[in-house]
Amino acid sequence: MTAKIFRNSMAVGISVFLLSVALFMGVLYQYFGGQLTDELENEAWLVARGVELQGMEYLEGLNSSSRITWVDRDGTVLYDNMADPSTMENHSDRAEIQDAMRGSQGTSVRDSSTLAEKTFYVARRLEDGTVIRLASAQYTIVVLLLSMIQPLMIILVAALILAAVLAHRLSKGIIRPILDLDLEHPEDCDTYDELAPLLTRIRRQNDTIRRQMDLLRQRQQEFAALTENMSEGFVLLDQKGHILSHNSGALRLLGTIAPAEEANVLTLDRSDAFRRVVEQALAGNRNQGRLERGGRCIQVMADPVSHDGQVVGAVLVLVDVTEREQGEQMRREFTANVSHELKTPLTAISGMAEIIKNGMVEPEDITGFAGDIYKESQRLIALVEDIIHLSRLDEGAPNLQREDVDLMALAKSAEQRLEPLAKKAGVTIMVAGAPFTVHGVRAVLDEMIYNLCDNAVKYNRPGGTVAVSVSPAPGGKGGEVTVSDTGIGIPAQDQERVFERFYRVDKSHSKEIGGTGLGLSIVKHGAALHDAQVELTSTLGQGTSVKLIFSR
Amino acid sequence: MRNTFQEQLEQLNVELIRMGALCEEAISDATKAYLEGDRELGRQACRLEQEIDNKERDIESQCMKLLLRQQPVARDLRAVSAAMRMISDMERIGDQALDIAEIARDMAPNRLGSRTPMEEMAREAIGMVTDSVDSFVRGDLNLAHGVIARDDKVDRLFLQVREELTSLIAAGEDGSVCLDMLMVAKYFERIGDHACNIAQWVEYALTGQYEED
Repeated sequence: MTAKIFRNSMAVGISVFLLSVALFMGVLYQYFGGQLTDELENEAWLVARGVELQGMEYLEGLNSSSRITWVDRDGTVLYDNMADPSTMENHSDRAEIQDAMRGSQGTSVRDSSTLAEKTFYVARRLEDGTVIRLASAQYTIVVLLLSMIQPLMIILVAALILAAVLAHRLSKGIIRPILDLDLEHPEDCDTYDELAPLLTRIRRQNDTIRRQMDLLRQRQQEFAALTENMSEGFVLLDQKGHILSHNSGALRLLGTIAPAEEANVLTLDRSDAFRRVVEQALAGNRNQGRLERGGRCIQVMADPVSHDGQVVGAVLVLVDVTEREQGEQMRREFTANVSHELKTPLTAISGMAEIIKNGMVEPEDITGFAGDIYKESQRLIALVEDIIHLSRLDEGAPNLQREDVDLMALAKSAEQRLEPLAKKAGVTIMVAGAPFTVHGVRAVLDEMIYNLCDNAVKYNRPGGTVAVSVSPAPGGKGGEVTVSDTGIGIPAQDQERVFERFYRVDKSHSKEIGGTGLGLSIVKHGAALHDAQVELTSTLGQGTSVKLIFSR
Repeated sequence: MRNTFQEQLEQLNVELIRMGALCEEAISDATKAYLEGDRELGRQACRLEQEIDNKERDIESQCMKLLLRQQPVARDLRAVSAAMRMISDMERIGDQALDIAEIARDMAPNRLGSRTPMEEMAREAIGMVTDSVDSFVRGDLNLAHGVIARDDKVDRLFLQVREELTSLIAAGEDGSVCLDMLMVAKYFERIGDHACNIAQWVEYALTGQYEED
């Protein structure tokens, strides 16, 4: 901008300068030329008069800056104040002299041989016919220009500087309003009218950009909200393994802090398993792996992202599979336990039946064997029943009918059913308290209370007591059922585990006592089904108390 | 030109992280092999040591190439020179892991370990290596300082182990077993020192200051 303005103003300056120089020189040159001729004519007249009066003497006494030549009638030079007349050639052929001879005066202008000078001649005829000629040289216009070159150059340089300063200030002045434009709010700008269309355009584009930015931000926020709120970890990589995007779930699962922008994925986790999964994904193979982080088991699933058949990145999804692993582990154990528990009585039954079949048993012993077989098959039936109960509870018992159940009545019925067993063990069962009802599944609630009482009798000592207390909550909603015994108790380290399936505190004697090892597990699941809490307090050797708290 | 340089620097970083990961794995394998008498893990540690050696050569030539061809200055130069120093420390850690694994191989399981804070020492040493690599990965100066500070603890533990082993020998326990244990303790202590060195190089790469200890 400045350069352009500078160039333009320089061009204007220089052309004006050249034009005026040319004009002035032309006009002045003409003027001075005329002046010189006039002066020469006056001087010639004066000299002519002088020579007419005094002759040669006048000429010799004259002191003039002009060249004065006195030419005789035949053209011979009689006198010259700047040269020896005898060496000068005949002047009769000179135009001004011929003119003067014919008339009274003649003038002529001749360029000198070098072009540097121009000579003005004025000749005047005296009365005696001779001619006085005055000559004065004037520099030609070229020489004049050359002689003036120094001041001209100074003026030119001054013009350059002036032009530069002016151009600078001018361009600054022009540019300022443009620079001061508030492009964010172009409609508020008070500037050149010529810029109005541009500003309108900018305003419109600003609007478009703002709208699109808003849209993008919204999308981004939606995406972030989506990924932030998922419990799974999520990492997006480019084809070189730089992290493009990640959520806090990924950081939490990997137990690391936020990586730097565009950092390599290995900064998240550098374990061999993780690296292999990422490398495979970036090579275009979807695959997965397992990591152990802080006691949690994390599954990493990696999918390559392809575009036009080329892998351009990968998506990693991290899932905490600890619970699933544990669940699987439990199921595996359960299956193993079930098969074992089922097989034990079956083996006994099969063994005894085989002995009888082979006729190796005395007829009088057969009753005994049959009793054993009966006992074992009863055990088997109880076990299968418990397993069916449990699996029904596992499914959340969707088909079970719910009704209002009086827990006091259930406790009493359990007491009745256990009476023979209790008598055999020398244990007294006492049911006390006030009745209350729970909206639930009768069969399950019955099973729960029966199992608790059954355990209390089984793990009691002769002469012990089982106290069942049923007490409604003061508020009228729900209540508690406590079954306490004076039995052998449960060691502290086993108290957590007795609710697990097939868990037995005393594994070696479990067979004598009977039971399937599933009773408390059924209690736990039944309680969960009824939103009830189970509290177990036990002191080894003094007894156990299990409290069921129904909250509704 | 600068772009390829940046890429090469990043590649170097990634390789360093991998080497760090290898070291962590080697030392934790060797430690498990020693503490739990797992032969398979011991062999694994030997393999890892080989891999670490190869990695060191790779990274070294990568560094030389970077230095010669790109002639980095200032921060980049520090990063490359710190990398060259770090890999030699990492390589030493790999060697110590191998040494521990070798002792574990030749050693019958014994009950003396439970009477010395060997496990704690192992945990500290592994933690220091992990933290030093982490401080490099994240460019975390505080973590690096933490590692440097932790070195004292490992040194103290070594002295404790030594004292307890002396008293065990005085009490008539098998001397050669005790000496082996002392060696292992010393290796852990050395691993701690190397982790500390790595942390110092991280500090140097980040700030340009190297603190001699």
